[in-house]
Amino acid sequence: MNRALFVQTWRAQRLKILIVCVALAVWGALLPIVYGAFGQTFRDIIDSGIVPEQLTQFGGGDIFSLSGSISLGAIHPISLILNSVFAVGFATAAIAGERQRGTLEVLLARPISRRTAYVTLLLATLSFVAAGVAATLLGAVVGSAIAGVLDELAVERLPLVWLNGFLLFAAFGSIGLAASVSFDRLTPALGITAAIVVVMYFLEVLGTFWPDAEPLQPYSLFHYYQPKQILEGEAPLLNFALPAIVAAIGVVWSLVEFPRRDLAAPA
Amino acid sequence: MAAIVTSGLTKRYGGGPPVHPPWIHPAPVVRALEDLSIEVREGEIFGFLGPNGAGKSTTIRLLLGYLHASGGSASVMGLDIARDSVEIRRRTGYLPGGIALYDTMSGEDLLDYLGELTGRPAARRAELCDRLEMSGSTLKRLVRDYSRGMRQKIGIIQALQHDPELAILDEPTEGLDPLMQRAFYTILEDLQKAGRTIFFSSHVLSEVERVCDRVAIVRRGRLVALEDVEALLARRKRNVEMRVDGPPPHLEGVAGVSAVAVAPDGRITCHLEGEVEPFLAALREVRVIDLTIEPAHLEEAFLELYHDEGDETDAAPEAVPA
Repeated sequence: MNRALFVQTWRAQRLKILIVCVALAVWGALLPIVYGAFGQTFRDIIDSGIVPEQLTQFGGGDIFSLSGSISLGAIHPISLILNSVFAVGFATAAIAGERQRGTLEVLLARPISRRTAYVTLLLATLSFVAAGVAATLLGAVVGSAIAGVLDELAVERLPLVWLNGFLLFAAFGSIGLAASVSFDRLTPALGITAAIVVVMYFLEVLGTFWPDAEPLQPYSLFHYYQPKQILEGEAPLLNFALPAIVAAIGVVWSLVEFPRRDLAAPA
Repeated sequence: MAAIVTSGLTKRYGGGPPVHPPWIHPAPVVRALEDLSIEVREGEIFGFLGPNGAGKSTTIRLLLGYLHASGGSASVMGLDIARDSVEIRRRTGYLPGGIALYDTMSGEDLLDYLGELTGRPAARRAELCDRLEMSGSTLKRLVRDYSRGMRQKIGIIQALQHDPELAILDEPTEGLDPLMQRAFYTILEDLQKAGRTIFFSSHVLSEVERVCDRVAIVRRGRLVALEDVEALLARRKRNVEMRVDGPPPHLEGVAGVSAVAVAPDGRITCHLEGEVEPFLAALREVRVIDLTIEPAHLEEAFLELYHDEGDETDAAPEAVPA
């Protein structure tokens, strides 16, 4: 890793990371508060049979328990979009964006190997993702305290929830960086990575609402992100191993592809 | 020891795998650089000339490890370009053509950052900033507010601030005003006096004539000439344009004069090569109203000097790989 590049990357992204983390923390706090205020009311409505049971579940989350509400907040599109700012946006721009702007020329004119540059940007991406997921969970803890339901929260299991979320977005970050090292322009790298994330999200959500589509869910990385399950005491190894394997494949691809490819003069 | 040695250095793009399904049509092979063999001596200012797309930037990018050679070999300061790319870049200063900078940083922060990445003290920065008139207040401004010339100056400073043994400069005076160009030339001369080697890529012939000891000229990816600047100057044709009072002078057959033409508006044009005295002697018989002798444009010089060199179809301008 190159320290100067890492520090500069953080410096350049600090305002963005601050905004995203605050937004994720606020969002993370919101759902426990909603649960604390309206959880029982929602439960009564569902029990009355007015709303079909399927519509009360979303990506493994619900609003009738604290763990369910935290899970719902984590898998919600708002959370996904905010976490994707770095897992997808930053990761895809890290190499391809610099290449398109021409600034990669200046960076690689220094005594830095491409692998070192990649590893540094990978670590930066992972640190951003780690901060984002941590902010969400910190918000959940604060929200639970505000709602007076902190005693329902298995705080000791939060590190595992963090790890599960971190590995999911690390996998997307790794895919984003793999696309980034493979293209000369940002658009294809961003397009491919965003498409992968959206399709996986669609498969997971589709399976949630439509039982016939449930067999498709295991093909989505989101299927292995289960904060509620973890908070309620279960932590299947596959939920951690699969995103980690996908992330590792992305890293290996990048470490092989980036050094061997030609970097022609920017257009 | 030579600063740069290339031996049969070749770069081709495209072609695709030798075995491929019938529905895949591999991109045609583009020969960006073909069999380049040059030697740049330590302590010289070496001009690397050629029109846009001739292979200049491809050569530089091969030397610095941005591209991988398809054939041949090269070394920079005795280091192999394939194996020792990082070490080469540690000892080299590079100014890319049309440099792109981080717009959200100030000039000073950018130079600090790039200096830190280089890992060597910015021993020449203050002197370079002074000579290129980049004041402290200017350096505190964001790069995005800089003019093109100021960006180029930052580019020059970042390439030279750590006093590299070898400077590779791609079109370094682009965007600089004439005063700054002059200042830049004196910087190069001083670097040379200090024993540094300058590899200077340009398509501006007059600039190369002024500062370089030797030049290599590439066209369509091939080396077409490698010689001392003085020898090149002796072969160069100048464009002449004049108006005379009365009938045109008899220039046919005058030593060094060629391509004489008289335009309908009375302008007389010709090319002049070598000694100027025979030409001036031929003008004594007429009253000259106006006379301009200007250097030939690079492309014209190429056409005159090298029009029969190489096969036009077997080499092509630099291309972005598919």
